[in-house]
Amino acid sequence: MKHLRRIFVKFYLLFANSKVEADLAREIGAHLALLEDEYLRQGMTPEDARRAARLAYGGVEQAKQLHRDERAFQGLSQILQDTRYTFRQLRRSPGFTVTAILMLALGIGATVAIFSIVEGVLLRPLPFPDPDRLVILGDVLEDSHCASCAPSSVTAPDIRNYMRDTKSFSHLGGYRQRLFELSGTGDPAAVNATRMSGEVFGALGVPPVLGRTFTQQEDEEGQQVAVLSYGMWWSRFHGDANVLGSKIFLYRKPYTVIGVMPRDFEFPLNPGHANQSELWLPLSLRPEEFTAGSAASWNSRMVGRLKPGITAEQAQSDAERVARETMRDYPAQMRSLRIHAVVTPLHEDTVGQARRLVHTLFFAVIVVLLIACANLAGLLLVRAIRRRREIAVRLALGARAATLLRQAIVESMVLSIAGGVIGLALAAGALRVGVSLLPQTLPRVNEIGLDWPVVLFALGLALLTGFLCGLAPAFAAIRTSMNATLKEGGRTGTSGSGHARLRSALVVAEIAVALTLLSASGLLLRSFGKMRDVKLGFRPDNTLAALYVLPQQRYATQSAIDEFTRTLLNDVGQLPGVDAVGITSFLPAAGNNWSIAFTIEGYVSPKGAGLNMAAMSLVESDPFEALGIRVLRGRVFTESDNAGSQLVAIVNRKMAERYWPGQDPIGKRLRRGMPETSTPWMTVVGEVDDVELGSRDAETMPQVYQPVTQTVASEGVFASPGELSAADGWIVLRSRVAPEEMQDTLRATVRKIDTQLPLYQMQTMEHAISKSEAPRRFNTMLISSFAIVAVLLSVLGIYGVIAFSVALREQEMAVRMALGGQRSEVILLILSSGAKLAAVGCGLGLLGAVAASRLLRSFLFEVSPFDPSVLALSAIAMLLLALAASALPARRASSTDPMLALRGE
Amino acid sequence: MSSKEKESIQLLQGTLDLIVLRTLATMGPQHAYQIATRLQQISDRLLNLNQGTLYPALGRLEQYGWIKGTWGRTESNREAKYYEITKAGEKALKEETQGWRRLSALVERLLLDES
Repeated sequence: MKHLRRIFVKFYLLFANSKVEADLAREIGAHLALLEDEYLRQGMTPEDARRAARLAYGGVEQAKQLHRDERAFQGLSQILQDTRYTFRQLRRSPGFTVTAILMLALGIGATVAIFSIVEGVLLRPLPFPDPDRLVILGDVLEDSHCASCAPSSVTAPDIRNYMRDTKSFSHLGGYRQRLFELSGTGDPAAVNATRMSGEVFGALGVPPVLGRTFTQQEDEEGQQVAVLSYGMWWSRFHGDANVLGSKIFLYRKPYTVIGVMPRDFEFPLNPGHANQSELWLPLSLRPEEFTAGSAASWNSRMVGRLKPGITAEQAQSDAERVARETMRDYPAQMRSLRIHAVVTPLHEDTVGQARRLVHTLFFAVIVVLLIACANLAGLLLVRAIRRRREIAVRLALGARAATLLRQAIVESMVLSIAGGVIGLALAAGALRVGVSLLPQTLPRVNEIGLDWPVVLFALGLALLTGFLCGLAPAFAAIRTSMNATLKEGGRTGTSGSGHARLRSALVVAEIAVALTLLSASGLLLRSFGKMRDVKLGFRPDNTLAALYVLPQQRYATQSAIDEFTRTLLNDVGQLPGVDAVGITSFLPAAGNNWSIAFTIEGYVSPKGAGLNMAAMSLVESDPFEALGIRVLRGRVFTESDNAGSQLVAIVNRKMAERYWPGQDPIGKRLRRGMPETSTPWMTVVGEVDDVELGSRDAETMPQVYQPVTQTVASEGVFASPGELSAADGWIVLRSRVAPEEMQDTLRATVRKIDTQLPLYQMQTMEHAISKSEAPRRFNTMLISSFAIVAVLLSVLGIYGVIAFSVALREQEMAVRMALGGQRSEVILLILSSGAKLAAVGCGLGLLGAVAASRLLRSFLFEVSPFDPSVLALSAIAMLLLALAASALPARRASSTDPMLALRGE
Repeated sequence: MSSKEKESIQLLQGTLDLIVLRTLATMGPQHAYQIATRLQQISDRLLNLNQGTLYPALGRLEQYGWIKGTWGRTESNREAKYYEITKAGEKALKEETQGWRRLSALVERLLLDES
């Protein structure tokens, strides 16, 4: 009890110190007065009485200090005292304070902003209960060499088999995300929706905020029900609680709304903002999805929750057993396919791709922070050296080394915490603007923000920074030799060689890490340039594209579809200003494509080469002309290449060179599927340029074009009964006017044909290209801006060190010149000391660049991480900047008036 | 403050605390100078400590809530801070006295055994 009371009182006294202090002084004064009275009474003279009183009392200051020690927490009160002292000191040198705090704010702010990405994307557990038990189950297709295929996907029969026959999952279901035309509420629009098994909701374990989710039984019965996302509920239904039971139309088929998911529910966890699912519908696989070509389409994924006690490895071998059974039941045309079941933790599946990018960014930003720290340490060191006399005097008066050490650390902590708080504000601002600029390749971007872990990280970082930055100058301070410093008298003196070495080491380290970052940024910029140099294979200027999807409800027959297509091409072709128009199933640079296996007549695959995959585009009219794709040989498709005529195809240069090297591909034959598949031959009638389907830094694939009208005929046994073709496509037009001006005209033309049909993703081709370049542009820009900051900070560092050493050696310079030294010699002397530091730093920095190459390699495009020209250029740039930074102090030193400096002595 | 430190000075502190409490209990409110004079008297000047040494003990006892200080006037019309023992202080004095008796008896016995 007594201790508890004391603790409170002690804490209170930490802050009410001055009142108690005054009271104590008053009491001691009264005590001394009483003692004095006593001695006077004994007959002493007033002076003697005063002296005797003092003697009897003992040291007044000691008594006060003992009382202080007794009444308040000593450590804390000293730190408070040190903090007050620090504030006084900092107020006296505002220039230093502002520089130091801003530098730290920059370093900490950037680090915190990037860390919040690390935290939101990589570290935070997935937003599902028990997320560690969630896994993705899928097939890996042996020898498919299909770079663009989604990792571990499944087919419709796979979904049925895995759900029925595996025993390791408490819930397991399939899902696939698709674009849907939504009508019945507001304007018709394209929405991202996910078709999924009822079991998926069970696996994820997130209850809806409103209504219910659908069950596996409803899924299998083909019930037309829909669960809305929170965002969709608000944007389309204004958060109306009566939304349950209302009807929405997807591709003009009615669906009943049965539930709304919570605000933070997101599934699938796709990269970027744009692709997030707004609706969840039952998967309800149709019978035709289990047959023919659909059975060989790896177009879905599966998510499951492991049963308690089952590991991912056990689940994988369980699934592998099912996969072997699935293969045993493969129809003749799929006999040569080999699949393996793969179980991946959902978290790994979601963030695996992003990890390297995020790590690299974090690494880059830590480099910036380290440089800021080194600079701050340098500044503090200079301050410590300037204050050597003060420190020496304090040591002489009996200050303990520990006290000086503590004060130095407290000073840098005060700076770093101030920097940390401002940095946090900067990071908050940067994130508010920055999240929308993040590349679409990052998953879980909505979860990025300043939350408690990030704030704690920022404060921890600030404290650590302050502590580390304070250490060097603190030790420099206590190593101050009292005698030597005091003996120097009024002279500014030359600095101790130990401190000079420390400062030089800091600058060398700064230059080294800055160069590492600079060369990384150089390599990325060069990669960006190389990517820009890649030929697109088409002319993006004056080209407009938009996607349409015909709802089956209205376009149920092939003739209805063909009628629409014919009218569309005709009407658009007659618009004023339109030079060429065509339809293609895949738009260049849009990043999606569809690869299938081909059999080439007379071509024997080398052993182990796997399937002959090529990207397939179904075209109508003349998209080659509209997109500006160059025809190298032969001809493009004409009206007479139709369902009834001979099957034809156009290949790209890469395809021709791979399968018919050195020959004319015209007249060669190829067909869909594997050798054992019975499909009809198609004859090559033309060869065109390689077209970049995704981003320019991706590998170009062999490509095959086919008239959309011949799709069904060419599919042979893969064709499903009643299969329709050409129900969707990109309409592409080349115009004489700016393509932006064509947008409304195109929309109006389509609306005239079908008033309800929306056009999706309308964009100019230039826009599509810029979108495909965005991830690389983002990486390059961010790393480059970090590099610029790093270089600026390190140049500031080298300037500071040189300027300070020049200031210390002012007299030496003056003496040199008084004794006949040339100005140029003085300049040379100083420049060479700067150059020496820079050279050592650059040497180490190049080593650093080599060490960082492993991290960087995957971001480079046709550039070696050891590219000599980039490394050499960065090093030269760094050296020149360092020389420029030392030139300023050198000039100042050389313009010292010898007499002035000597008189100042 | 570590517990080790506390233990090592406990004995000395406790003694001084006990004397101060005892003084205030028997003599009524006293100021620091009076307490110091009293200390010198009863110790027959054997315990010749600086009067300032008293202050930490007074501060500590006040923080425990065992004594209470108020400003007043001396007979010679000087201002001085008078300390008075509180209820809690009297109770504590009783406990501390008993503790001290037990301890000194123990030490006494030990010393007897040794010799």
